[in-house]
Amino acid sequence: MRLTELPNGASGRVCELSGKAEVCQRLREMGFCESAVIERVSGERTLLCQLCGTRIALSDRAAEHIVVELIRGGL
Amino acid sequence: MSSDQKASTPARTPVYALCGNPNCGKSTLFNALTGLKQKVGNYPGVTVEKKIGETYSQHGQPIKIIDLPGAYSLAARSPDEAVLRDVLLGRRADTPQPDRVVCIADASNLERNLYLIHQILDLGRPVILVLNMMDLAAKSGIGIRVARLEKELGIPVIPCEAVNGKGLIELRLAMSRSDLPLPRHRWDIPAPIAPAVSELAASLAQNDRKPPLIARAEALLLLTDQDTVRVAGSAALTPQTASILQQWQKRWEAEGTDWAGTLVNSRYDAISVICNEVVQRQAVSVASVSDRIDAVVTHPVFGWLVLGAVMTALFLSIFTLAEYPMNWIDGHMAGLSDWVKSAMAPGDLRDLITDGAIGGVGGVIVFLPQILILYFFISLLENTGYMARAAFIMDRLMSRVGLNGKSFIPLLSSYACAIPGIMATRTIEDPKDRLVTILVAPLMSCSARLPVYLLMIAALVPGDRVPVASKVGIMLLMYALGTLGAFGFAWLFKRTLLKGEPPMMIMELPPYRLPRLRDVALQMVERAWLFLRRAGTVILGISIVLWFLSAYPKAPQGATPTQQLEQSFAGQAGKVLEPVIKPIGFDWHIGIGLITSFAAREVFVSTMGVVFNAETNDQDTTPLRQALLQARWPDGRALFSPLVCFTLMVYYVFAMQCMSTVAVVRRETNSYRWPAFQIAYMTGTAWVLSFIVYQGGRALGF
Repeated sequence: MRLTELPNGASGRVCELSGKAEVCQRLREMGFCESAVIERVSGERTLLCQLCGTRIALSDRAAEHIVVELIRGGL
Repeated sequence: MSSDQKASTPARTPVYALCGNPNCGKSTLFNALTGLKQKVGNYPGVTVEKKIGETYSQHGQPIKIIDLPGAYSLAARSPDEAVLRDVLLGRRADTPQPDRVVCIADASNLERNLYLIHQILDLGRPVILVLNMMDLAAKSGIGIRVARLEKELGIPVIPCEAVNGKGLIELRLAMSRSDLPLPRHRWDIPAPIAPAVSELAASLAQNDRKPPLIARAEALLLLTDQDTVRVAGSAALTPQTASILQQWQKRWEAEGTDWAGTLVNSRYDAISVICNEVVQRQAVSVASVSDRIDAVVTHPVFGWLVLGAVMTALFLSIFTLAEYPMNWIDGHMAGLSDWVKSAMAPGDLRDLITDGAIGGVGGVIVFLPQILILYFFISLLENTGYMARAAFIMDRLMSRVGLNGKSFIPLLSSYACAIPGIMATRTIEDPKDRLVTILVAPLMSCSARLPVYLLMIAALVPGDRVPVASKVGIMLLMYALGTLGAFGFAWLFKRTLLKGEPPMMIMELPPYRLPRLRDVALQMVERAWLFLRRAGTVILGISIVLWFLSAYPKAPQGATPTQQLEQSFAGQAGKVLEPVIKPIGFDWHIGIGLITSFAAREVFVSTMGVVFNAETNDQDTTPLRQALLQARWPDGRALFSPLVCFTLMVYYVFAMQCMSTVAVVRRETNSYRWPAFQIAYMTGTAWVLSFIVYQGGRALGF
C-alpha cells in the first residue's frame, strides 16, 4: 500500500519509491529509503510521520511516492 | 595553491565552513564561537544570506568561519542549498573555498544527519564532526560511542551541547590543530556507475582544473543531481564535461537504470553500517515531551486554536506595543527636522533635508518598532520549533490554492511589511511557488496602509456618533479583502501563468526546545538591520526625487504650500492623471497623493495635509478630516463622499504603491519583468475593483 493509505498510528516499512525521479531522490535523501520504518502519526492531506526519531511533515503528493508494507498497528 | 598545502600549515587566516542539516543547532554553535564578531551580507547575484564570523584559535590566531545554509544533501534543490554546494566545491569566485569543514550533526538523529556529512567527507578536506545535542540524545535513550565513530571516519569527533556551552573548548582545540587528518573513505561506488564516475572525474580534473578528490566528489554529485540548480555567480561546467555527463545520462535512460537511487541507497547502506557499530539505543517507551506537545499543537481542532491564539497575540503586540516607540520616533524625527529648520537658513537645501531626507527616511524608521516586534515573534517561533508546526497546519489550506505550507511565513510577515515577507520566501524550494508567493505577498495589508485606512475611516464615518465596532469592522473588511485577494491570485497564477507541479511539502519538524534569548535577539537585530539598510537606502533616494517633483518648478513668491504643490511637477502629474482616475471618483488632488505615496503608502496622509493645507499630524487627524470633508469638485459636489472614501480604501488594498517593495522584488527575482508585472496586475486590479465599487455604488444611489 501507499503511505497515504496507511492508517494513522500504524507503522510500515518502505518497500519501494515509485513515481517522479526527483521526488524519489529527495525522499531518499531525507531518509525514506527502502527498508526504513515509518510510523504515521496523524494528518489527513498533510501527513505527520516519525522516521528514525524525527518528525517529518509530508504532503499527500509526496507520500504517494512511498510504497510501504504494514508491520504493526492499524485495523 | 594546492589543497595539500592548505591542509597542512595554513599561512594565512584559515577558513572554516560550518555545515549541517537544518535544525541541528548550527546557528547556536556559530553564535557561540564567534560572539558578536559577525558580518552578515549576501552572496552577490543570489539572495542567500552570507554569514562570516571570526574567532580565535587556542594560540590567539584568528580563524574565519563561514556559516553555510543548512541542507540535507549537496544535491541542491533551493538557492540556499546551491550556495552550500558551490562554496564547498570552490565554484564561487566571491567566497574563498574553505580550507576545513566543521560538520554539525544532531546526535539524537545521527543516521539521517550523516548523509550530508558523508557527501562532505568525499570532498577530501579535513573535517571535524561535532555531535550536537548530546543531552537530548541521552534523554531519548541514544548513546553514541564517540571513539568508535572517530575510528570509523578517521576524523576528530566532538560531543557537544552548544546551547549549554559544553564542548566548545574541545572544538576550539580541534580547530586550532595544524595537522587535522583527512577523512578515510570506506564506501565503494556501486559497480554499474563506477565507470561513469571515473570518466567524469577525469574530465573535471583535466578540463575544469579541479583537484582530484574534489573532481570525484563533484562527479558523484553531478550524477545524482537531475536538475542541477545553477545560481548566479557560480562557475559553469566546461562543455567537454557537460557532454560526457549528457552521454551517460542518455545511456542510462535508454537502459532504464535508476542510477541516482542506486547511489543514494549505497551511501545510506554505508552509513547504516557505521551507525550499527556506533549508536546504542535503549528502548524508551514513554512519549517524549515533543510528542506530547505535538499531540495538541498538530491536532486537527486544537492545532487551529493554538495557531489562532499565537496569531492574535502577534497582531495585538504589533499594533498595541509598537505604538509608544512609534510615537517617540515620530516625535524625535519632527524634533530633528525642527532643529535643522532653526539651524539653517531657509532655502531649497534646508527643505530638501527636512522634507525630503528626514521626512522620507523617518517614514520608514517609524515602522521599525513593528518590524522588530514581528521579527522577535518570528525568531521566537522559529527557535522553539513552533513555526514548522504552523506551516504543517497551514499546508492543507495553502495547498487548496496551490501553495505549500512554507509560503505561510512570508505571507504572515507581510502583514507587518511586504519587504521582510518577500525576503522570507528564500526557503521555498520550488522556484514557481516562490515566485507566486512573492507576487501575492504585497496584497496582505501591511502596516503602512494603516494610516490611510484610519484617515479614510475617520472621513467616512462621522467619528462620535458611530460605535467603534463599525470602524473596526471596516478595518477588518480591508484586511480580509487583501488576504482573499492574495489567495485568489495565488490560485489564479498557479493555474495559468506559473503552471507547475502541484505543491509538495517535505519538511522536518524539529523537537521543541526552550529558545535562548540571546539567539532570538541576535536574529531579530540582524534581520531588522538588513531591512533598514535595504529599505532605508532605496527610500532615501525616492524621497529626494519625490521632494524634487513636488518642490519644482517654483511658484511665484508668496505662494502658499497648496499653490506650490498644485503647480509643481507632482501637481501637473496629478492633473494628467485625472482623466484616468475620474471614473473611480478621484480628482487630481488625490492623484498627487497616489503619486507621492509610491514612496510609502502612509505618505498619502501627509500629502493630503499639504494639498488641502491642513495642519495635521499622525496622532490627530481631526483638522485634516474636516478639510477633506470640505473639499469639493468644481461643480460643488463633495469630493470625499463616503463612497469615495470606501473606494479609496479598496484601491489601497490592491494597488502596488510601494517603491521599496518593487526594489526588493527586483532583487529577489533578479529581473525587471516580474516587478513590472506585479505593478501592472496589482494596480490594474485596484483600478478595476475601484471602478466596480464606485460606479456600482453610484448606481445604487450612494
